[in-house]
Amino acid sequence: MAEWFQSLKDEFILNFIDDNRWLRLLKGLGITLEVTLFAVLIGIVLGIIVAAIRSTYDNTPNIKKKKGAGTFFLRLLNALCNIYLTVIRGTPVVVQLMIGYYVILASSTNKILVASIVFGVNSGAYLAEIFRSGISSIDKGQMEAGRSLGFNYAKTMIYIIIPQAFKNVLPAIANEFIVLLKETSVAGYVALEDLTKAADIIRGRTFSAFMPLFAIALIYLAVVMVLTWLVKKLERRLKNSER
Amino acid sequence: MSDNAMIKVNDLKIHYDNGRIKALDGITTEISKGEVVVVVGPSGSGKSTFLRSLNLLETPTEGSICFEGVNITDPDVDINKHRQKMGMVFQQFNLFPHMNILKNMTLAPMKLLKIEKSEAEEKALSLLEKVGLKDRANAYPSQLSGGQKQRVAIVRALAMNPDVMLFDEPTSALDPEMVGEVLSVMKELAKSGMTMVVVTHEMGFAKEVASRVIFIADGKIGEDAPPSEFFENPKNPRLKDFLAKVL
Repeated sequence: MAEWFQSLKDEFILNFIDDNRWLRLLKGLGITLEVTLFAVLIGIVLGIIVAAIRSTYDNTPNIKKKKGAGTFFLRLLNALCNIYLTVIRGTPVVVQLMIGYYVILASSTNKILVASIVFGVNSGAYLAEIFRSGISSIDKGQMEAGRSLGFNYAKTMIYIIIPQAFKNVLPAIANEFIVLLKETSVAGYVALEDLTKAADIIRGRTFSAFMPLFAIALIYLAVVMVLTWLVKKLERRLKNSER
Repeated sequence: MSDNAMIKVNDLKIHYDNGRIKALDGITTEISKGEVVVVVGPSGSGKSTFLRSLNLLETPTEGSICFEGVNITDPDVDINKHRQKMGMVFQQFNLFPHMNILKNMTLAPMKLLKIEKSEAEEKALSLLEKVGLKDRANAYPSQLSGGQKQRVAIVRALAMNPDVMLFDEPTSALDPEMVGEVLSVMKELAKSGMTMVVVTHEMGFAKEVASRVIFIADGKIGEDAPPSEFFENPKNPRLKDFLAKVL
């Protein structure tokens, strides 16, 4: 038993203490969180825009028959959104990351920026559908009530529909953030030293896999648990405002 | 009559499905200032569609609606401005569940009429007092009964100072014991001189309060008469049939 503990201790020292290897993990975690945060922000903005376009398109009666520049523009935007959703949701994120880094944004050397954009664009497609389902979950009468008071379509959306929709989709959005955090672990494909890549580098140096891999698994788990706890708190607060 | 006509409807048609379904098939009528017009008819006759078309919640296929001298079916007209003058009460109340009663009532006056918060709240509270709900100002819609919700919905519309109030079956979703409280609010409103268009199944309300009763069947006006004549001496055979069933 004592022998086993001793070897565990040696492993720990070798993988984390020697050469200050723990710093590598800390930096990696920082990069993972940074990429996730920026990606989430980009994703939310893109998601809201795409969801707004698609919802407006869906809510416009007889759109296929109508003429005029505005209708044409809306149909064009809707078509672009559909292409975006199909392509992003139909290809693996690793492939998107490599295309982003080696092809589209090849001129950029800022890996964090490239990864944030790629993961943000990816996440935006999923968030758009989450937002859209949230908007369509709100009873039609709410839109009619807002419009009958004299609010235009956009203001009814902002004051009446979106606050209710947001509350309905909050668990789904939180889930998407958690998925995104874990998905960034493929950033090592473009040699970005995120948490997973850091552990992999340590493993390459120490020829010991157990410690670094279990360590990052625990770190990911801890971050996800904190996020879950935060969302639960927020959900409860939003619920309280209704009674 | 035409001088103080608030709403003029001319040959209004609403067709769906490329004309296969004719929800409204040529409605022509006028609603004058201070009138209480009750619209009745069998279900699916188009009476709700007619009411909802008055503030363009339903888009007319043909015909025109003039409100206070402006043809609101003209695509160049800013309908949002005109809707501010037309209060609407729905069967399903449609209160905003994420706001308390006071916020429900002050949102539109503050954002659209740019009224100060304190002034809007004062007005909302005095309206709530009139319908006996001042003590529920900070409650959320989910905490109210159906009758209370509908009374709030009425004063929410009134908070915008509308020129006409449209009621789309305001008591149809209520438990029977709550119908009375909503109807009495509507009677008070009628007494105060508000122009009202009411789609309802409450024949007693029509007899007592209406200045005119319109019978709509198959998307057309079947009868348009003062309540005494409408109920005692109906001419349209379909109306006779309808009245025999509901009275």
